[in-house]
Amino acid sequence: MATAKLIHDPYNLIITGVGGQGNVLASRMLGNVLTSQGLWVTIGETFGASQRGGSVMSHLRVSTDGSWSPQIPEGKAHMVLALEPLEALRVLVKYGNPGAKAIVNDRPILPVAAIAGKTNYPSADELEGMLAKLTAQRWSIPATERAMALGASIFANIIMIGALSATDDLPVSRQGFEAELLRALGPSKVATNLEAFDLGAAMVQG
Amino acid sequence: MDGQRLTMMGNQAITQGALEAGVRVAAGYPGTPSSEIIQNLAGAADEHGLYVEWSINEKVSLEVAAAASFAGLRSLCAMKQNGVNVASDFLLHLAGSGIRAGMVLVHCDDPGALSSVNEGESRHFARMLELPQLEPSDFQEAKDMTKWAFELSEEIGNVVMLRSVTRLSHASGGVVPGPIPQAQGKAHFDHHGTLLDKGHGPVSSSPVAYKHRLQQEKLARAVELFEDSPFNSYTGPEAPELLVITSSICNLYVKEALVLLDATDRVGVLKLGTTWPLPPKLLQRNLERCGQVLVVEEVIPFLEENVKIAAAEMAGEIGAKRFFGKRDGTIPAQGELNPDIVLGALAGILNLPYQTRPPQYDLLAQEAAPQATQDRDLAFCPGCPHRASFWSLKGALALDARDGFICGDIGCYSLAMRPTGYGMLKTLLAMGSGAGIASGFGQLGRFGMDQPVMAVSGDSTFYHAVIPALINAVHQKSPMSLVVLDNSGTAMTGFQPHPGTEANALGQPVPPVDIEAICRSLGAEVTVCDPFDLEATQAAALALLADQSTAKVLILRQLCALSPQRKGSKLYEVQVDPEKCLGDQCGCNRLCTRVFGCPGLAWEKQSGKARIDEVICAGCGVCASVCPQGAIIKSERA
Amino acid sequence: MINRGPRQLLAEVQQPGLCIGCGSCVELCPYFRSHGGKTVMLHDCDLPEGRCHAWCPKTELDLEGLAQELWGAPYSAQGMGPHLAVVAAKAGPRLEAGRYQAGGTVSALVCAALEQGLVQGAILTGGRGMDTAPALATTPEEVMACSGSKFTAAPTLAALNRAQAQGCGPVLVVATPCQATALAQRWAKPWPSRGAAGPAELVIGLFCNWSLDPQGLTGFLAQRVELESIRSMDIPPPPAGVLRVETTEGSLEIPFDEIRDLIPPACAMCPDMTSEWADLSVGMYEGRPGWNTLVVRNEKARALTEAAVEAGWLVVEEFPKANKEHLVHAAQGKRSRGLGAALAQSLLGVSGEDQPKALRVSPELYRAVESGEVA
Repeated sequence: MATAKLIHDPYNLIITGVGGQGNVLASRMLGNVLTSQGLWVTIGETFGASQRGGSVMSHLRVSTDGSWSPQIPEGKAHMVLALEPLEALRVLVKYGNPGAKAIVNDRPILPVAAIAGKTNYPSADELEGMLAKLTAQRWSIPATERAMALGASIFANIIMIGALSATDDLPVSRQGFEAELLRALGPSKVATNLEAFDLGAAMVQG
Repeated sequence: MDGQRLTMMGNQAITQGALEAGVRVAAGYPGTPSSEIIQNLAGAADEHGLYVEWSINEKVSLEVAAAASFAGLRSLCAMKQNGVNVASDFLLHLAGSGIRAGMVLVHCDDPGALSSVNEGESRHFARMLELPQLEPSDFQEAKDMTKWAFELSEEIGNVVMLRSVTRLSHASGGVVPGPIPQAQGKAHFDHHGTLLDKGHGPVSSSPVAYKHRLQQEKLARAVELFEDSPFNSYTGPEAPELLVITSSICNLYVKEALVLLDATDRVGVLKLGTTWPLPPKLLQRNLERCGQVLVVEEVIPFLEENVKIAAAEMAGEIGAKRFFGKRDGTIPAQGELNPDIVLGALAGILNLPYQTRPPQYDLLAQEAAPQATQDRDLAFCPGCPHRASFWSLKGALALDARDGFICGDIGCYSLAMRPTGYGMLKTLLAMGSGAGIASGFGQLGRFGMDQPVMAVSGDSTFYHAVIPALINAVHQKSPMSLVVLDNSGTAMTGFQPHPGTEANALGQPVPPVDIEAICRSLGAEVTVCDPFDLEATQAAALALLADQSTAKVLILRQLCALSPQRKGSKLYEVQVDPEKCLGDQCGCNRLCTRVFGCPGLAWEKQSGKARIDEVICAGCGVCASVCPQGAIIKSERA
Repeated sequence: MINRGPRQLLAEVQQPGLCIGCGSCVELCPYFRSHGGKTVMLHDCDLPEGRCHAWCPKTELDLEGLAQELWGAPYSAQGMGPHLAVVAAKAGPRLEAGRYQAGGTVSALVCAALEQGLVQGAILTGGRGMDTAPALATTPEEVMACSGSKFTAAPTLAALNRAQAQGCGPVLVVATPCQATALAQRWAKPWPSRGAAGPAELVIGLFCNWSLDPQGLTGFLAQRVELESIRSMDIPPPPAGVLRVETTEGSLEIPFDEIRDLIPPACAMCPDMTSEWADLSVGMYEGRPGWNTLVVRNEKARALTEAAVEAGWLVVEEFPKANKEHLVHAAQGKRSRGLGAALAQSLLGVSGEDQPKALRVSPELYRAVESGEVA
């Protein structure tokens, strides 16, 4: 099968969020869409304990040239897909670089220490300011808000995938994603998830 | 599926390899990062005619798998690094007795303890117990080596250990799957031969001298096969400046580091897939290439030490070598590795400059760092019964006011060690050790100890290792209190079944073994409570602490928030009534958010009052009992 | 007046062992509780100020400031607190005989106050034997159920806090000197914004020389009797020098010497024998069993006493001058011992100064204590 071309090889994508937000689901689905295009995909993830409200990351290496380290080297992320804004920052501090791009869900999830008043969660303006300095291009999207309107917060993942697809950085097409939805979730779930995908794509195109 | 490259999780690749080898029986105990192997095999059981079991603990799981092998069926056992410790006595004897049909022990280490309370390694068991060991270095190898491991096992007549790590087991990559054979063969245990007849006689590690010699011959045969194994490979120039010896996922780190340093023409990489015993001829050929060797592995310097021993043995032929690795600090002696650590080591040895990114960006990153890297500690999930349990235990211990404490154990409730779990666990070691240690503390009254002691255990942990400790406590008259946190599943590792659940790994109905009945039959005083009833639970705990006459058990029974029976359905709609919430005027000093600390609660800066985060709240309703003003209202869902 | 927070309360009172278990800090909020005779803090609280600290009788007790505020007079080195009269008193015909201990004056006054409508409830310390049970009583039957002397500290004020949180209306408290002192702190350091907890409408104080730590006494008696068999306890008048414990199996007399170690350290630095901060104070009438000494301290107290007599709850007689002198002398003895002990433990300070102190007096009184003049 024809192998799609990449603007970077390996292309390094980090999907990040808080344990329980479904970043594993998102990375798997994206991984499968890209694999079906003939690309090599290596995904590094941590789960188990991390699910209990800790920071989580999925590192995706997309390449024409075999498997790469499941952990992306520091400073080498091309794109950060963040389900939570503080986590976007945490990832960029370590893996960002002047050319990094980020798609960020705007809804904060406060760490327990911040809820308890022991630490200070940055304001939306502070977050925006820091994100601006650490990215070459970024999109802030109300993924959770729209997901809740669709019926469940877990749709935020799919909205984010739609947004990623609209950047054209990676060969993630609507058809490709639809096929993966069918395979992964079954026919009854395809329509709503595609709706979520389209919502996300529109947020980036608009 | 057969033939096309897929992106597969390492554990799934191992599962695939086992299926392609015609495995028929698989057993294990849940343990991150190994759990998916048994889980996936259980999922494939119907289609391929397997028996798959979540056993009560790793020792028994190894015994179950061994039985299948004795009866002529290929079997697999999977566990995390600690599981090998638990199973090790049986493994020692099994290594002596040998096996019949191919048997593979997959052990998944957790360098950096991403989901463990230790990063103890299990590779040394292969050496200590004189068993061959394989280490896949990527996803395709995870599959191919698992498949081959069965063949090797049958060729030599012994268990083969296959070692994975978190960053392989839980990572995903390209795998081309192969065909899965039709299940065939009837199970039968042939036992009529003489004692010395390894194929047809009784299975035993004795007579020891005879069997031990046989065992070593089997290992020698494995080494012969390892000399030509395709799983060992050299990449790089004929005569490099530096030879890197590596195994496991570290190989990909090394590969990436060399690309980033642009040093692939200067450095050679010997990637070992057969890591015990080390094939001497292969080693010698590669050690002869240059005078400096860097060994990259995690966690203990297992390869490094064994390579050095081999190098000393062949020193006459190959000369002295300069070694870099863990022993000299080039590679850190603890924690997991990543490409950056390897980069640093290589750059240091080769004297190559390396800049991650432009310094100006680094400065910007440093500015953002204090806020960006703020603590996001692990915490009990919203709706977790453990939060309620430990809240009540905290209150009871404070009221008892004798500096009593809790000995902890392994599971989600281990999080009670952390501030988010109220810092309630004062010892936290191995599976079942909470009850054992508490039983010991309970005997110290005769030496003047006047602090009441409790232990906590999950339901799965109870079956795994706590029962002997509880028997000990009752029989030895140790006045400790065991609190069993029964959330109806093995939660931390993915909600697998255990002997107390009504369905097994294959989803078939099975008779649950009742914890309460066990405790009563042992003669312990037993109380049962719903941890969501804070008042009753605290009163029950206080009663336990007051009774210093005997071992007691309090079972706190409530479904895990993530259990299939509970997940996604809220018990209550929970809201804060902004009229009743007095904010900072209340004088409770934000008891709900500052102290109780459920992630479903938030303090609204604008209104200066508490509110419920409806996206996160799981609707357990416990916080309603915490608010002193009764401002948190729970209403039953229609 | 000086106020700090719960962490300081722990450091200044609980940790040095100066907590008397009066219950003033208990159940004001979710943090302080009383259990098994101990006052404990369930969770850490970092507020810089709190009612728990403000209303504790064992820290930042500014005797001079309180006296000026509540009595309009300096805190005296002599005497037994302000009073309009000291009389002999005992329960009148309306109080059922045999249901009360000694003279029954306290029960009589409480019944009268309830009947008068002066208060809607009474916070009393009920319970039997070793188990003290602070309770809110609103009828004579409930009052009688609480009668009987207790010799261990009980967290009676926790019941007040609880009752006030539930909107009980004006109540009286039958208080030990430390509890009466805590109630006086509430008058001087009000905190209306934090909810309904606050002073009591009327305080009937008890005489007290020392109390016994509940856990200590439980442990001590458990070695001598079956705890469940204890019916009541009493300290007979001097020169008996014993604690008498009445059980179903008979009577047990324990010499003071044997239980001296069970007296909480806080009692040593207490200057108040007669509950001088109360409205009325009631104690034993030495040499006249079946009667009490009643100290009437203010107009409200006088009015209640007269009403109680008129309604048949109470009988009063003149109190002999010699007895009064003896009482003052005894009270004076405890005052000087208490202030002296506080000074010796560096717990005594001067009103208005910065450094944290448990007790404060005027500069003159401080000098007098220092020089040993207060005797």
